[in-house]
Amino acid sequence: MVKDRYFTGIDVGTSYIKAVIIDEKNKITGSFTNRSGADLQKSITTAFKGAVDAADVSQHAIKHITATGFGRRNVSFADSVKTEISCHAKGVYQYFPRKITIIDIGGQDTKIIKIDSQGKILSFKMNRKCAAGTGAFLEEISYKLNIPMSEMNALAAKSSKDAALSSFCTVFASTEILTRIKEGEKIEDMVKSAFESVARRVIEMDTLGGTIVMTGGVVAYNNAILKILAKSIGKEILTPPAPQLSGAFGAALFAREIEK
Amino acid sequence: MGYFCTYVPEEILYAAGVLPVRILGSHEPQDLTEPHIFAMFCPFCRDCLAQGLKNRYKYLDGLMIAQSCLHIRQAYTSWIKHRPVEFSKFLCMPHKVQSPHAYEFLTEEYKTFKNEVEDWMGKKITDKDLKNAIEVYNENRRLMRKLYELRKRDIPPITGEQVMEVVMAMQMTDKAEHNKMLKDLLKKLENHTPDRETGSRLMILGSEDDDTVFMNMVESCGATFVIDDHCTGSRYFWNEVENGKDLLSSIASRYIDRIPCPTKDWEERKRIPHILKLCKDWNVDGAIIMQQKFCDPHELEFVSIKKALEDAGVPTLFLEFDVTVPIGQFKIRVEAFLEMIGEEDLF
Repeated sequence: MVKDRYFTGIDVGTSYIKAVIIDEKNKITGSFTNRSGADLQKSITTAFKGAVDAADVSQHAIKHITATGFGRRNVSFADSVKTEISCHAKGVYQYFPRKITIIDIGGQDTKIIKIDSQGKILSFKMNRKCAAGTGAFLEEISYKLNIPMSEMNALAAKSSKDAALSSFCTVFASTEILTRIKEGEKIEDMVKSAFESVARRVIEMDTLGGTIVMTGGVVAYNNAILKILAKSIGKEILTPPAPQLSGAFGAALFAREIEK
Repeated sequence: MGYFCTYVPEEILYAAGVLPVRILGSHEPQDLTEPHIFAMFCPFCRDCLAQGLKNRYKYLDGLMIAQSCLHIRQAYTSWIKHRPVEFSKFLCMPHKVQSPHAYEFLTEEYKTFKNEVEDWMGKKITDKDLKNAIEVYNENRRLMRKLYELRKRDIPPITGEQVMEVVMAMQMTDKAEHNKMLKDLLKKLENHTPDRETGSRLMILGSEDDDTVFMNMVESCGATFVIDDHCTGSRYFWNEVENGKDLLSSIASRYIDRIPCPTKDWEERKRIPHILKLCKDWNVDGAIIMQQKFCDPHELEFVSIKKALEDAGVPTLFLEFDVTVPIGQFKIRVEAFLEMIGEEDLF
């Protein structure tokens, strides 16, 4: 009897580490998400063990581990490394095998990746040395407003007013939000404006053609951004089943391919 | 004599017995230039000015610039104001090099410039001096073209980072001395096969760029720069002085007709067909287009160059440089770019 074989993708992001285990049918059998923190090694091990436990497989059954994300070289036990650009493309194409534009909003960077109908990357863009349009922007606003990040999405949903911010800049935007709340703007409207700021930053980064798919931690926990962006570009936006795991899932798919 | 831009006619200086030395930055963060230069001028011009203010070019007797862009001109004017030198010169290099009057205009400017240098040095620049200078410079250019020819090989015997070092040395040393060393180098490289994988063949093009740290990072990710279009690269030496009406007008023609910097490449964009030809002749897989942050002339060119390259089947990656580059962030982009262009090999 042939033993079951498993493959792992570990995406070491700037905010979170995502580990995914897939079987030979490319099905996710287990995953784990953990804050990156200062002790990267420890967080990586915790994420990997967490995914192994969740999948309920023996570590020996894992035939290949591919690491990705900004800390991909820190995964000492990885068998191969790939950039998150390739992994996101791979992970998303698995669900949407057609010409797509991927918008990935992570903790500290935003990527727009275009792939053709064969799954080949045509181009990619990343934000420059600035947190505008990333998860860090929203985290900063949440900190300044003293509203937990987990409540921001529900607050934005309550808003019925468009109150655009005048700057993408994280520092200027949070000052503006505080000033405008003092002047009588509703908190929910200002929270929505923060999401709108992220959406506008994404729109100005690149042209958005074909099927649009959003991934990353921000959209996983805040579907407000999805609605705002869809409204702005006048197009439906799709998301894969676990948007935060796209990169790790793509890495796992690479792991399986390499091991073939 | 320190000089700021590769439009400075070094032959005239060399003929007078003056050693031209290019002003470059140090790639160190600094806090000196803020009062003297606009914050949204390019990091390179600020880095250069910082070297002057820090007295790192104390050995210079003179400083000059030929008109190219306002940013670097501000570095020059601020430098001579705060660190005066014996001889300073703003040479009026015409912007519209494509005008038929440009040759005559520049030749006249050179006549004035030659007189000024003669007064400063206290001796005449003879035709023999000029001819000798032209010969030394032309030989240098020919040798550099030979070096670049070697990079056409399937396994280039020299990396892009090493070539960048050669070009920087070339802009700082006596060309006669550089010629000698170049000949040695060419001899050594003739049968040399380096102990490294060539990987993807890349072109790098854009504004002033002497960032060897970046070059090294890219070349350690499975790629080799085989050709460039930089003023700290091929643009500097591509064209020779050819025999014209007289010596000064021959030199003028050389600087008018050379591969242009984007500040001067209008109305016809002559640099684009040149870049495409380099890509083809050096068989490149992809091109990294870099620019110094806030470098408007290059930013303006970027859109049409990117389109021309991609229409010709050359994928591009755009990166914006600062005094120091964020190596980690750039590495992700570079590796993803290399994965992207390497993908084709899988099919």
